Amino acid sequence: MSSRLLNQIGLFFAALVIVSPAILFFLWMISLSLKFEIDNGAYPPILIPERFAWSNYVKVFEENNFLLYLWNSVLVTGTATVLALLIGVPAGYGIARLKAEKSAVVIMIARMTPGLSYLIPLFLLFQWIGILGTLWPQIIIHLVVTVPIVVWVMIGYFETTPMELEEAANIDGASSWQVFRLVALPIARPGIVVAFILSVIFSWNNFVFGVVLASRETRTLPVAVYNMLSYEQVSWGPLAAAALVVTLPVLVLTMFAQKQIVAGLTAGAVKGG
Amino acid sequence: MASVTINNVQKAFGDTRIIHDVSVDIADGEFVILVGPSGCGKSTLLRMIAGLETISGGKITIGERMVNNLRARDRNIAMVFQNYALYPHMTVADNMGFALKIKKADPADTAGRVRNAANILGLEKLLERYPRQLSGGQRQRVAMGRAIVRDPQVFLFDEPLSNLDAKLRVQMRGEIKALHQRLGTTTIYVTHDQIEAMTMADKIVVLHDGLVEQIGAPLDLYDKPANLFVAGFIGSPAMNFIAGRIEEGVFRSAGGLILPLPEGARPTDAAGRELVYGIRPEHIRATAQGMPGTVTLLEATGSEIFAKVDCAGEEIACLFRERLPLKQGAQIRIEPDRACAHLFDAKTGRRM
Repeated sequence: MSSRLLNQIGLFFAALVIVSPAILFFLWMISLSLKFEIDNGAYPPILIPERFAWSNYVKVFEENNFLLYLWNSVLVTGTATVLALLIGVPAGYGIARLKAEKSAVVIMIARMTPGLSYLIPLFLLFQWIGILGTLWPQIIIHLVVTVPIVVWVMIGYFETTPMELEEAANIDGASSWQVFRLVALPIARPGIVVAFILSVIFSWNNFVFGVVLASRETRTLPVAVYNMLSYEQVSWGPLAAAALVVTLPVLVLTMFAQKQIVAGLTAGAVKGG
Repeated sequence: MASVTINNVQKAFGDTRIIHDVSVDIADGEFVILVGPSGCGKSTLLRMIAGLETISGGKITIGERMVNNLRARDRNIAMVFQNYALYPHMTVADNMGFALKIKKADPADTAGRVRNAANILGLEKLLERYPRQLSGGQRQRVAMGRAIVRDPQVFLFDEPLSNLDAKLRVQMRGEIKALHQRLGTTTIYVTHDQIEAMTMADKIVVLHDGLVEQIGAPLDLYDKPANLFVAGFIGSPAMNFIAGRIEEGVFRSAGGLILPLPEGARPTDAAGRELVYGIRPEHIRATAQGMPGTVTLLEATGSEIFAKVDCAGEEIACLFRERLPLKQGAQIRIEPDRACAHLFDAKTGRRM
């Protein structure tokens, strides 16, 4: 009995040590966002201030056209994700069924190529077509992030759906398109949810593309937060508040869907899972 | 309903030939079972009939139509898979009506046909359930229902009972046979289980290494196996094989065991040639004047006694219907029933 209790305490501490960097990081961010500038620079550091500086959050929304940037982010991430699903789900299905691993690798290579190597040429290209002032350059370039994720998650998913189901549908008179739409797609719905969530997270957090391609009007949230850093001196309070606001949607989404994300990432590892 | 003709059909995956040259005629309404050990090509042959595998050579005809280049969905056949292959996101009713929905049939008509099939299979109360909420036997029935609803020309079954437990298997065996008698649809059924083949088929096709070993009615295969493979495959427990030759009007094994010649066999037929003597365990009797042997293994199930008897170095399996007072290690005299004994050529494996 006591050894079991000891075990549990040990496990608890081990877990605490492992997650503490992530947790402390968040706690410190929350603390920063709620302190006045004077407390933020104090030594020894203060975790819980005597007076909370809610004004930091108000400032985020008042000063920086934050709602516009939020809307930009929603548009860029939303469109890039929807387009990625439209392209990536059928692509994943095709690659899984035709066992076209090489094309999957090509997509992966596109993802692994450092963004900066193609950002400048693309910048010139977008300028030449004349869409630089709009959100389209960012949407298009976010596809480099979102499409590979969707394709790879979906390959894993479609590979686990048994072939017999599609053969049965074939014999039942379904065309290839009907097999995909009526059998393969509904079965892969959990996979599509995972692909959607992961795609949103990666696109939402993307910073490099926005920094290069966004103008004052077309900034997304991560870029907006970065700009707070450079314009005023370094006001940690509003910065942390803004960062938290940016992180919140993704954080909520992740917590809400973490079970499905784990299931989706491990699909294929265990048959019939 | 339709007849099916398989004419010199071959199948190769790259350089590997799975099916060498198979020809089978299946009459309209016949229940034909393709049986053989795993890897013999029986499932591949069925999938070729279904249109799930291409045909490398030869011709398959369903009814009047040559189907070699016809897509699976145009062949008007229905198939029951080993793992049932029910659509997990559809209810039982939707599963059964899927083919008709694809055909854009009248929904009222579809519902009627689904209900009808459900009645036949006892699925009325399960129509709104999902496959995951069903037991193995129920899933099996739904898969059959899906086939029935379509009213196809041919039913194809690919080892449909191998995922069920023994008791359910026996029950479903009876149900599939009853269903065939009721509907009369041409049925091609693949199994590796010779008991399933014996109990259900009108005609059995024994396949081995991509070749047809024998085609015939179940009892013909049992009574007159064409070769050593069929003789060993059909029947359980398996037939005893004893190598030897005919000498002086009797069969003599290498170890000196002497056996009476099968009825109708003339001593001059194959005198001096290498032969194999075949006798089924159930065709051996314990008698006072038979060949002496020692019991090396004894298994009594109540209805019968299975024993292995060592006669002059040959281990002979015996199945006795009567309750003999046997003990392991005891001496016993046994005698083969000459009317049921077989002789095979040792080289070619053919029946003499």
